[in-house]
Amino acid sequence: MSRPSSPAGLATSSCPTADQVSAVNTVWVDIRALLPNTKEDLKLDFSKKVEESVISLLQQARDLLYGAGSLCSGSTRETCLQVSEIIIDYSWEKLNIGTWRDVDKDWRRVYSYGCLFKVLCMCSEQGTIADTIRVCDMGLLMGASILDNILVRIINVLQKHLTYGKRSAQEDTKESQRKKIRNDHTTVPSIKSEEVIPRLHCPSLEHFRENYMIPQKPVILEGIVDHWPCMKKWSLDYLRQIAGCRTVPVEVGSRYTDEEWSQTLMIVNDFIDQYIVNKNSIGYLAQHQLFDQSLNRVLTPAKLVLVIGRKYIRLYSPQESENLYPHETQILHNTSQVDVEDPNLVKFPKFERAAFQACILTPGQVLFIPVKYWHYVRSLDVSFSVSFWWL
Amino acid sequence: MAEPGPQRGWFVFGFRGFAEPRGGGARRVEPEPGGIRVVRPAWSYTGLVTGRGRLVLRGRLAGALPGHCQDLLPSESHVLLLRGAALEAWARGAGLCGGPAWQQQLHPGEVAGPLPLAPRGYVTPRPPFLCPLPPALRAQKLVLGHEHVVLLGRAGTIYTWGCGRHGQLGHGGLEPVSEPRLVEALHGMPMGDVAAGGWHSVSVSEGGDLYVWGWNESGQLALPSKALAEKRAPAAASVSQHEEPCAGEAELKLVNHEAALGAEAADFVSIQAFPALLDLPEGSEVSKVSCGSRHTAAVTRTGELYTWGWGKYGQLGHNDTASSDQPRQVGYFPANGLMVEDVVCGPWNTYVGAVEK
Repeated sequence: MSRPSSPAGLATSSCPTADQVSAVNTVWVDIRALLPNTKEDLKLDFSKKVEESVISLLQQARDLLYGAGSLCSGSTRETCLQVSEIIIDYSWEKLNIGTWRDVDKDWRRVYSYGCLFKVLCMCSEQGTIADTIRVCDMGLLMGASILDNILVRIINVLQKHLTYGKRSAQEDTKESQRKKIRNDHTTVPSIKSEEVIPRLHCPSLEHFRENYMIPQKPVILEGIVDHWPCMKKWSLDYLRQIAGCRTVPVEVGSRYTDEEWSQTLMIVNDFIDQYIVNKNSIGYLAQHQLFDQSLNRVLTPAKLVLVIGRKYIRLYSPQESENLYPHETQILHNTSQVDVEDPNLVKFPKFERAAFQACILTPGQVLFIPVKYWHYVRSLDVSFSVSFWWL
Repeated sequence: MAEPGPQRGWFVFGFRGFAEPRGGGARRVEPEPGGIRVVRPAWSYTGLVTGRGRLVLRGRLAGALPGHCQDLLPSESHVLLLRGAALEAWARGAGLCGGPAWQQQLHPGEVAGPLPLAPRGYVTPRPPFLCPLPPALRAQKLVLGHEHVVLLGRAGTIYTWGCGRHGQLGHGGLEPVSEPRLVEALHGMPMGDVAAGGWHSVSVSEGGDLYVWGWNESGQLALPSKALAEKRAPAAASVSQHEEPCAGEAELKLVNHEAALGAEAADFVSIQAFPALLDLPEGSEVSKVSCGSRHTAAVTRTGELYTWGWGKYGQLGHNDTASSDQPRQVGYFPANGLMVEDVVCGPWNTYVGAVEK
């Protein structure tokens, strides 16, 4: 039933009211341009682990997408949306069976495809853009890369179309001033000279790569914020603007082993409202790849931390793992049992021998944490940190 | 041919395949010659054993198998059958043609069932099909969750093992257990029935009391669920608020979210790692219980059906798609003069056996 598509791709499909729709729904036009040209190009290849009943659902959604009229007709869209929901719900169950490592990557891809088809239905109906981004984010958080990271590309397009509410940057600043940001009168720890993490001012990328990234040594980078366009103007306003409606994982609670500790998914705007502007509990933005589109260099895996506010940070090399008494339980095996600044040396005697480097990270500084390094972080005042991966 | 005496039948609500709309109300299951004796729902199809011992499959995998069949265990990848003196696993893709992908003969005198119980072990509807059990356990009934197993012993004791990440083992922790372990909290209280959902477990005492443990993410334990409370809250964290800003609204949203996370946080239960007693409305005693992936259904001794948990596909039977963390009676049956006798949950649907009053 599907006709060969024109070189311009799906945008000029045989939808009868295409002109009317595309005149009004520029979101749909832009999004559809990201999809493969033909049905056959949208490959649905999975291992035998993915059951035949699910494959046929994916094929059904794909057929509806590339069929005559595509998702312009209400009933086609409604069916495709229902099928997408079924795919999402079924694969969600698979993603929650066993540990994250046990989950077959193909089920995560199925989940992403489900989110993709749902997003396409929402776009064709001019759904709320923020809600649509939310679905993309679920696909990114729980799924695996499909179609050359299409969900990321869709988010980029959607964000351009996002109209920001009346709540402008000015109103935000006024509100911040109205609500007093409480200053913690916490003690600032002293750092011995041999423990200090070295600092570099404005190093070249090559120097950093050769001397710190490749040998996996921690270092604080200064002055680079001004040089990297994506990191200019780190302020709450800016963060809201570029990522306000994105969904991120947030860890609530001051220590992993707190009873109240939990990880939850939040919209960045909500996170800022609750834990920064209206600080009522300790919130820590779990590491998440928010700004991938701005980093276009391919480097070895690393974690960089950028802060607003000051943080006392200690880094222990992975060679010290034995002295750090990691939890034996499955869920906490990446966490030490020791209270770093008040260690129980009777219970954890080897901890005294554990060598570390430390710093007080201030706004504008970027800390490079090599892979597998243990890190301890304590906020010295209201702070907000964003950590992200370089791939 | 009309059956003598009060009319007995099976009814179904919930997910019925891909072409049907969600949330439709209960519907009568098309009867079979000889009646329907066993109902075993998988996700995309259901296996029935008729009163005449024939296997009928309905749904995405449709058809009938010639010859006799006593019981079955269906999954998306295979159908495991108890036929005559053998256990057979047929690959679903082949559409029940060819022959079984795996087979195990029963020795004379050996009895299998109720499935998944088998001689010296239990069967699963996916490889390796047969798993051993220590004979000392003397199992009465065994049920499978997505990643755990619950066993009811002859003395009414309960054993669980498998993955415990969602508290479904009922030992008080989240650690996995590799061998059958006694659920201490219920020891001394004889249980008459057990059921397992995707990530939760339910047991019924001989006195008709209901105990629940495991994951409560959709209210399937009938304990307060934060996710459901947030959905019910009028100004819950909905992103669209930011596109229609109003200082008063934004503040209201903050307050609701705070209330959810702050003072009331202690009341919400996401994981219940020890068995908890669940009282049904009116103090009804439970005779039978069954669990779907994320919902639970219970039949009382007076013939009512209660459901709770995930309801997105109409599996709770209230003619809507709402989830619930409170047990609600399914009004369809009293409204049609029916007494509920039995319930069998598929992953996303519920089959109910009822008889005219």
